[in-house]
Parts: sequence; structure tokens; C-alpha cells
Amino acid sequence: MRFTYFVHGTIAALLLSSCGGGGGGSSTTSTAPVTPPAQVFTDPTVYSSAPNASLTTAAETTAVTQGQITVNGAALNYTATTGHLSARTLTTNVAEASFFYVAYTLNGQNAATRPVTFFYNGGPGSATVWLHLGSFGPKRLVSGHPAVTGGLFPLVDNAESLLDVSDLVFVDAIGSGYSQAITPNNNQTFWGVDADAAVFRDFVMRYVAVNNRAASPKFLYGESYGGPRSGVLAFLLENAGVHLNGVVLQSPAMNYNSNCGVVSGAISCGGFLPSYGATGSWYNLITPNPGTASLPNFMTQMRTFATNDYAPAVRNFLTAGIAPSPSLLTQLSATTGVPVSTWQTRFNLDANTVEASLIPGTRLGRYDSRVSVPNTSPLAVDDPSSTSITPSFSSGIASYLSTTLQYTTPSGYTLLSNAINTWNFSHDGLQVPDTIPDLAAALTLNPRLKVLSLSGYHDLATPFYQTEMDLARLGNNPNVQVRNYIGGHMTYLTDASRMQQKADLVQFYHDALLQ
Amino acid sequence: MKNTNHASAAGRWLLLPCALLTLSVQAVEPARVVTDSNTAMQDPWVPPALRNAPAATPTQGAELRAQVEAKLKDRFQMADTKSTGTLTREQAQAAGLGFVVKHFDQIDVQKTGAVKFDDIKVFLRERGARLD
Repeated sequence: MRFTYFVHGTIAALLLSSCGGGGGGSSTTSTAPVTPPAQVFTDPTVYSSAPNASLTTAAETTAVTQGQITVNGAALNYTATTGHLSARTLTTNVAEASFFYVAYTLNGQNAATRPVTFFYNGGPGSATVWLHLGSFGPKRLVSGHPAVTGGLFPLVDNAESLLDVSDLVFVDAIGSGYSQAITPNNNQTFWGVDADAAVFRDFVMRYVAVNNRAASPKFLYGESYGGPRSGVLAFLLENAGVHLNGVVLQSPAMNYNSNCGVVSGAISCGGFLPSYGATGSWYNLITPNPGTASLPNFMTQMRTFATNDYAPAVRNFLTAGIAPSPSLLTQLSATTGVPVSTWQTRFNLDANTVEASLIPGTRLGRYDSRVSVPNTSPLAVDDPSSTSITPSFSSGIASYLSTTLQYTTPSGYTLLSNAINTWNFSHDGLQVPDTIPDLAAALTLNPRLKVLSLSGYHDLATPFYQTEMDLARLGNNPNVQVRNYIGGHMTYLTDASRMQQKADLVQFYHDALLQ
Repeated sequence: MKNTNHASAAGRWLLLPCALLTLSVQAVEPARVVTDSNTAMQDPWVPPALRNAPAATPTQGAELRAQVEAKLKDRFQMADTKSTGTLTREQAQAAGLGFVVKHFDQIDVQKTGAVKFDDIKVFLRERGARLD
């Protein structure tokens, strides 16, 4: 998969003030911003995602390009800055880790009022490629989700980009993308709930310092494991005196202890039940089928059913071995399409079983149960909602970085490291993280902080209802809002949902900026 | 720190007085992409050894507020290196407690130059925080 092709006359690097070209991306102008000159950057550093890898030195050099997209009929001229910044320890100010990031900043804006949002995926160990090229950046890959199409997705201007309301910084976790620890640390140093969030804090503070964004309204946008990362990070930032305006949780796994797909034992799968219903409805296995238009109403019923009937019966089953009533089994089957026989043998029904057996001979997606492939398909080797998009995002980021953003390096861009295998999941005395207390602590230090959680009805990894129950622990707080959409974990891959999500985000930013 | 900002790709360079202009015809090769894991992303997921982690009951209400207070107190005590039960502005600064530094004068209502944990709680409650 090595192409060599030619770009004709696209680069006009005009370095007006720095003859000889120093490190880019570190303009110290805080007022009357000018459009930075374009610059290509061939990074000679060799990056590694190995646990014991570390850099001896790290430069903060960047490639800089100009772009233009149209959002809501308005042309947006932006600067894309691609490269590294060195996170520095909070109290001793020593460079500890070199973060790879791509920042999109709208030209000619006042930094004091222009918001900046930090995006990151999860894993842990994932590069921020899904949010970067799938959600609200200036470009996006057209996935056609949930249809499984052959071939690679085209990269297009993103009419739903958030760039009209905020500058966007997509940053890769240490050991992913081209982000790497700096000696004496190694990547493994930052592969844990607390160390990871702390080094993300230090990256945010470095970005703010280098780019004079102290006065800018600040937002976090984390997906999946990026949700718990945001919980801890929001607390650490507020604690360090960095005021946040908003936190967006995209399909977050805030409490690993409550997700029956993550930990086994006596964990109820009640939080998954409405998503099983949404899945059964999608495949027309429910009579009468509420259909897409009535899905929210159906989900309201399913939440009630899960909490009032299913969850108590699961509790009785798990703790006292009490068998569920035949009428409950019938009702479970009627509302999900999962046969009574399956409910009899697996009453605390896990998502894996639904994905593998709801439709004989077919594997359903975990991230998006609407995606389905025959068991014989090569895409069925793993979650098809993941395997069907990974090649496009992989090749998409590869060519985008070098041809559009003008950042090249001989190193491989690590889409997914092995960090998860040696990750230190312990946090605040628990073996796996519960970050609701962290989010609550952030809301305590900053009661005006606004939180928006976004989930997909068809996500069988971080089911929306479990997320709602996790967040309900925060009590009745009008600053914490939840929105659910047709779609899976990456709701933004579904065109209609991405448009709704954009509208909800615009409202959220508007509200969060009023504080 | 190395100065690594140079364009090594093939191109024609025109050197102008105090300006550097490249009008280049460049060969650009896509980055290589590597995936270490032999499975697709499984997030959220934990290694098998952690799958049987002891079940933790979700906290809420007073219990959750107590957890929050414990987290705040933990940070306070780490900064209180002399175990006096108070923090000066300098101690807060040294421990990275930017929040306390930023609001020190508002927290230190008695103007003693050192704040107690309870002073911080009073300040937080006044701002609308839910603390017991």
C-alpha cells in the first residue's frame, strides 16, 4: 500500500519573519492574529508504540497548511497545525511526553472569545482517528454507515464541522499515533487511568500556554474510554486552575464496574436491554415494529421495562437463583426478537450472544448492531462495524497527514497500540475505573461546567441506558444533559444523526458560553 | 532541542531576502499505518485478569458527595507538606493546586495568608457546589 504521487505547486511556504525556519506553530501573538505562513514538515524522529519506548529529545515542530470549508453557507478559512507539543510536568515543568496533534484554528479570531475543544478517542490505546476523520473536523470520511460497502471511503469537506463554533484540536494518546513518552519516562509510564489523564492535562496546559489560549473557553470531547479519561481530566484541569466550559462525552464508559460486557460476575445487563430492543426493531423482529420514527418512544418503554421488571428479576436470578417467570421471558422475547429459548439459557443476556445469534448465520456489530455481515465474510472475523471501517480510516489518515496536512515521517502511525493489555485500570481504590466521582468533583470545583453525553441507541459496547444510569448518579443537575441518536458507538457516522448531533452541539456550546 | 524544521522532500527552493519561498513539485508518500493489536478495537474492555474485579456498588447522593470531598481533601493534604492543616498560596502553587491559587483571596476571607480545607468548602458551596 505504498503510493508515490505528485502534488503540483501546492506548497508556497513563505516564512516572512523567521529566515531559516525555526519551530513553527508557536506564535506568541495574542492579539490581531495573522494567518500563519504555510510550512511543510518532514519529521525525522522515529516514533514507537512499544511499552518501553521513549524519546531522548522532542522538538515542538509543526507543519502548517491553510484550508477552507463551508458550514451553514459560510466560508471558513482555517489553519491546520500538525506536529508535536511536549507535555510538561505540572509542578516541576519538565518535558515528560511528546504529543502528536492536529489543530484546526479559524483564521482572524480573537483568542479571548474563541473556544477551543480537545478531542481524543479511547481504547485505551487508540489514536484519535475516528473522531478526527469521522465526526466534526473539517474533513470526514463518507462511511455510508450502517451499509457495508466495498472500497475505501472518500474524504470530503465536512458540512457538519464544529469549526464554526470552536477551534478543534485532535490529540493522540501516548503510544498511539505519533505520541511518545520522553525519557526517563517510557510509554508504559502513561498507560494507566491516572497517569494518562495527568499527562493529557499537561498537554492541554502546554497547548494553552504555547498558543496563548488561557482566556479561550475550553471544551473536552472524549469518546468511549475517552469518556472516563474526560471525567478524570476535567477534575485534574479544574484542580490545576484551568477553567473548563464544557465536557462532551461521546458514548462514554464512565463506570467500568457497571458494564456487564466489561466485567463479569454479578453485574446486571439491564442497561443493555433497551439497546437489544432497538436492535430487534432494526431487524424487524418485533411485532408490531415501532420503527425508526417511534424508536424514542419505544426506548422510553424499554427503560421502564428494564428497570421495573428485568433488572429486579436479574438480581433475584444472580443472587438467589430464582428463575424468571414465563410471562417475563415472553415479554423479553417480544420486545427484543431474541428467542425465549435464549432468554431461558442466558437470562442475564450479554451483548456477544445477541451479536452472534440474533440472526442465524449473521454477525452483528458490537459498536453498531445495525451493521451485519454473513458469518462467512472476512469482516466477520471481528466486530463488523469496526472491521468494515478500519481500512478506510487507516488509509485515510495516512494520505491525509502527508498530502493535505504536509506532515511526513518515516515512522508508522499507530492506529491502535497494545496499551490495553498492560494498562493500569485501577483508580481510587477500585480495580477498574468508576469516574463518576471524578466528574462530580469537577462539577464541584466548577458548578457552571456543562456536560453533554451523546450515545447511539444501537451501541452494544457502551449502551445508552447504562450511560444514563451512570450519569443519573450525579443527581438532578440541569448542567448534565443526555442526547441519544439512531446509530452506534460512533453516532456521527450516520448522516442524519451527525446533523442532529451538530445542531445539539451548537446549542450546547451556546449555552456553555453564556456561563 | 534539535531544530528539525526542514523540508527534505524534493523541491526547488528560491531564497529571497529574509523570506523563504518554496514552489515545489513534491513526491508525497502516505504515512505508514500500524496496528499493534491483533484484534479490532474492543473499547471498553479489560484484560481477562480484571474481568472478575470485585463488584463495586455505584455511589450516589451523600455517599458520592463524600467521595468527592475525599478526592478534594486528598489533594489538599498532599499539598500540606508541613501537616499544619493549612495551605499558603506558595504551598498551593508548589503542589499544582492552581484552583486554590487562583481563588486564594476569595477563600482566605480572614486574610490570614493560609487557608484551611473547610475554608475551601465554604467557598465552593458559595459558588453553588453540592458539598455536605
